[in-house]
Amino acid sequence: MAQQYEIPVGAQHISLLEPLHFKFTTENEKIVHTDANVYYVHRGIEKACCTKFKFRQVSFVVGRVCGLCSISHTTAYSQVAEKLLKIEIPKRAKYLRMLVIELDRIHSHLLCLSHVAENSGFEALFMKTMQYREFSMELLEAICGNRIQYDFSIVGGVARDLKPEVANQVLRRLDHFMPQLEELADIFRNNWTLSLKNKGVGAISRETALRLNVVGPFARAAGLAVDVRNETEDLLPWKEAGFEMVTETSGDVYARNMVRIRELYVSISIIRNIINGLPETPIVTETKAFPDGEAVVRLEAPRGELFYYAKGNKTQVLERLKIKAPTFSNVAAMVEAFRGNEYGSAPAIIASYDPCLSCTAR
Amino acid sequence: MKLATYRKKSPWILHYNAGGCNGCDIEILACLAPKYDIERFGMINTGNPKQSDILLVTGPVTKRSRERLVEIYAQMPEPKVVVACGACASTGGVFRGMYNCEGGVDQFIPVDVYVCGCGTRPEQIIDGVVQALAILEQKNKDMEASVRLNTQPIAEDEQLNRRHVAASITPTPTV
Amino acid sequence: MNKIATSLDTVQEDIGRFYDPEQHHFMVMNAVDLGQQLEIQWFFSHYAPPYDTTTFFALASPDATIPSIRSIVASAWVAEAELVDLMDIRIEGSEKGFVLEPDFDSGPLRKNK
Ligand code: SF4
Repeated sequence: MAQQYEIPVGAQHISLLEPLHFKFTTENEKIVHTDANVYYVHRGIEKACCTKFKFRQVSFVVGRVCGLCSISHTTAYSQVAEKLLKIEIPKRAKYLRMLVIELDRIHSHLLCLSHVAENSGFEALFMKTMQYREFSMELLEAICGNRIQYDFSIVGGVARDLKPEVANQVLRRLDHFMPQLEELADIFRNNWTLSLKNKGVGAISRETALRLNVVGPFARAAGLAVDVRNETEDLLPWKEAGFEMVTETSGDVYARNMVRIRELYVSISIIRNIINGLPETPIVTETKAFPDGEAVVRLEAPRGELFYYAKGNKTQVLERLKIKAPTFSNVAAMVEAFRGNEYGSAPAIIASYDPCLSCTAR
Repeated sequence: MKLATYRKKSPWILHYNAGGCNGCDIEILACLAPKYDIERFGMINTGNPKQSDILLVTGPVTKRSRERLVEIYAQMPEPKVVVACGACASTGGVFRGMYNCEGGVDQFIPVDVYVCGCGTRPEQIIDGVVQALAILEQKNKDMEASVRLNTQPIAEDEQLNRRHVAASITPTPTV
Repeated sequence: MNKIATSLDTVQEDIGRFYDPEQHHFMVMNAVDLGQQLEIQWFFSHYAPPYDTTTFFALASPDATIPSIRSIVASAWVAEAELVDLMDIRIEGSEKGFVLEPDFDSGPLRKNK
């Protein structure tokens, strides 16, 4: 047996956006074992949501669980609260929620791709991707009024309507973005240097993905066709808006990049369909009821399935709120997928998981 | 000294997330990207506390990150400037009073610039960092000034002076 | 949401009979404080239509030891370790200290704490 070394990465590291600690046990260059510590950013949001805040305020608090997918959190919470209140929201509100979720997915996926490029050592591609990503931030600002914390979904509907000029601007900017996306897709697909760091690295098989209950692009890259958008139609009509499932088979970093790139095309077509067929209805349902009973909601955030459980007790304050974020499901597989890879590839693998520790730890 | 000149022109920044929601972190990343391009001020993001001059902190400081935060701060060489990015780093923001949060970076390390907003905009971050540059320069001057020792020597006081009291040390001639 | 009642003695058997990695997706484990007792919940979803959620729930007293399902569902250790800290309960094979710092009195989500 070769000599084993322990290499810590984190909590503060250039390749990490968030505090996350991995302890790699390596033999020569190969990683044989990994320990992860993912709870650096545990703040106690679940408790505060059931004690400090009223149920209408909670939708703004849960947005602060994660800045990258705040719209997914606020929407999932609003949906679960609407289930407890037993109200149905107008169709236009549903479409506007989907619109913002898809725009958010574009910016989140582009951020992840740029981060993979940076951690693979391809600084120029990082800059290029970040440059192209700015259009989605500007559009989100035009629609919601803020660049990252949108506070767009509220209990009963959405907070703002979409102005026709903004809708036109979205379509125009998307047309402008298409050739840029082609360029990025070409680099991520065909660049030889990048492929050395990405192809065959950090792979997991479909069986492992099933066994460890992986979700999101991580699972879809391994050939497991799971996507909440493919499932229910009653909360948000994804299929009506033109959703298509994207899967790859090899399960490595390259496949995860490809899944993200191809999902961008799907998101863009969904956004176009939504804007072209936006129904004319009010945007909120008013109610004076109080939440009662139990409900669960699942929603596809950029990183996978987001799960909310809520229990109400006919008062302003909820009895219990449980948030399960996508990365939480992937922690077990994240630790597995390092095994057998070189230590030098670890940063690229970490970035390709697209981990969101704020979501996981709450 | 040469180093001081260069530090003024191109400070290196270090970024640490002490428990925020990532929102401000991706805005810091956006600052490094071509649209806002903080590199035109000569700044570059490093991952090494021992080479950095400006520490950008986000988040309300959770119980598990507090020791790491202080450790990182302690490892940075003087002079150093701390910029608290975002409402939650400045005061605790929406997380104030939650059981695992301490509420603000300034509970643990001295903060020089507070940047408001939840999430803060890249323009605000750049503004904060440019203000930090001025503070860095000032701190630099203060540090050099203390080396030159321009304080006045202590004036004559009432204390006994050994030289006046004790006998002279010139050896007495032997008979 | 389809709720199935079980008990601490039979939960391993029930979930073992139900869970098939090819068809079911283990989401998360949760606990709700009902005052005197805790309601422990295990959430599963389905990969195939109708894609519904199945919840197993069991009532437990706060000082009972809850059987672990990680021999059946390999990724359940994360959820179990988290619950041990947040709810101050005992689950077989999970240690305290995964989520909270050791100097913290655990169980912040319990009502009387
Ligand atoms: S200030 Fe707001 S956006 Fe920034 S890290 Fe804190 S909660 Fe997130």
